[in-house]
Amino acid sequence: MLRPFRVLEPSTAGEAAAELGRLGERAKVYAGGAELLLLLRHKLVQADYLVNIKRIGALDKITWDGGILRIGATVTHHRLEKEPLVQKYLPMFAHAESQVANLRVRNQGTLGGNLCFNDPHSDPGPALLVYEASVKLAGASEERLTTLDDFFVDMYATTLRPDEVLTEVQVPPLPAGFSGAYARVHRFQRPTVAVAAAVKIENGRLDNVRLAVGCVGPKPQRLQELEAKIRGISLKDAQRVISQSGPYFMKLLRPVDDLLGSADYKLYMTRTLLARALEEAPNGDRGAKSAKGD
Amino acid sequence: MSKETEISEEQQTFALSVIVNGQSWNGQIPVQETLLEFLRNRLGLTGTKRSCESEICGACTVLVESQAVSSCNYLAYEAHGKSVLSIEGLSVGDQLDPLQEAFIRNMGFQCGFCTPGQLMMAKALLLDNPSPTREQIVEGMNGNICRCGAYPAITASILEVAGLTAKK
Repeated sequence: MLRPFRVLEPSTAGEAAAELGRLGERAKVYAGGAELLLLLRHKLVQADYLVNIKRIGALDKITWDGGILRIGATVTHHRLEKEPLVQKYLPMFAHAESQVANLRVRNQGTLGGNLCFNDPHSDPGPALLVYEASVKLAGASEERLTTLDDFFVDMYATTLRPDEVLTEVQVPPLPAGFSGAYARVHRFQRPTVAVAAAVKIENGRLDNVRLAVGCVGPKPQRLQELEAKIRGISLKDAQRVISQSGPYFMKLLRPVDDLLGSADYKLYMTRTLLARALEEAPNGDRGAKSAKGD
Repeated sequence: MSKETEISEEQQTFALSVIVNGQSWNGQIPVQETLLEFLRNRLGLTGTKRSCESEICGACTVLVESQAVSSCNYLAYEAHGKSVLSIEGLSVGDQLDPLQEAFIRNMGFQCGFCTPGQLMMAKALLLDNPSPTREQIVEGMNGNICRCGAYPAITASILEVAGLTAKK
């Protein structure tokens, strides 16, 4: 049984933000409910009001404006894995979305909800960091745009203010010549370690590269320092650098032991999956073969 | 339902109108009632099982507008104006669904607790793709746990029905 709450159904994002501002801590944004209803049931979150944002028409759209794919906050994971525009412009992201939990969760859970919860064990975050995505946050009277990298603060923490609603995720395709890969190991239908890579190979060398890792520590991370180090060298050399970067991963990723794996295991798999993703990325925009672990 | 105008004193109720297994149902329910509670407690349809309550095990799987959902984590009021299919509606009278027949032929179960959920998930998969490969079946069914370990027989059952459909 869920503790009784009331549902409000505003018709614009501004109205939703105003309600959130008025009700403060007593209200939570409700979209798919995949995470929120779980937390309410386990009494990890309390809410007297759910502000259902699914009646805000504009939030369930996916549009291509010629340079950026705009994904409404209430678009579900299942729509993202199937949507031709996503498959065409963001194929690695489409693959990452197809890996989210199971079909029931993908039918219900939304991209906006996923990013706002910032659950450390999640697929979309690391993939979107490699695309350098941004999120649009609406307050009662104004909107702001922030990079996803800045949006993620810590485990379950983002820069979203209590009186704001995430309305749109803006994702530019990878630049010309890049191709991507997404690789993960998982247990209990959540990733234990997830890595996303995008590479541009020229004359057998990594002309350009973007890397991100999720699930190891509190939040998904771009690996900019490592990217700079392996830019311009061969794939084999890059893989050697990665295998020798234990201390760097330790410091940046802040690995934690949890139900899905020990910190040591996650660090080991981070290096393994990064090496694998780098190898797979030039062959196309799909994901690297994932290891199973259920 | 907008603002708080329709909120009764303590609880907010919702005038739900839903079609369950082909029959329409109209009545008031609290907004926090899950679809699982609605089906089991209000309609007495206990074939849908309550188990992990975390969207992991799949025992509570039902279809809403042909899409598989975890009824334990889905608010019943969201099904307003929609069509819900639970295990009780899978057969037509005495005529079992081909999936049910295949599960019986192949013994796609042991204790049977997860079976309603397995069948409903399989139904959703076949509605979406009538002739999936073995790999697609395994991938699609990965959110339905069977602690007896009937997985090979479950997969074989679905493959069999997929083959039958493909031949038609």
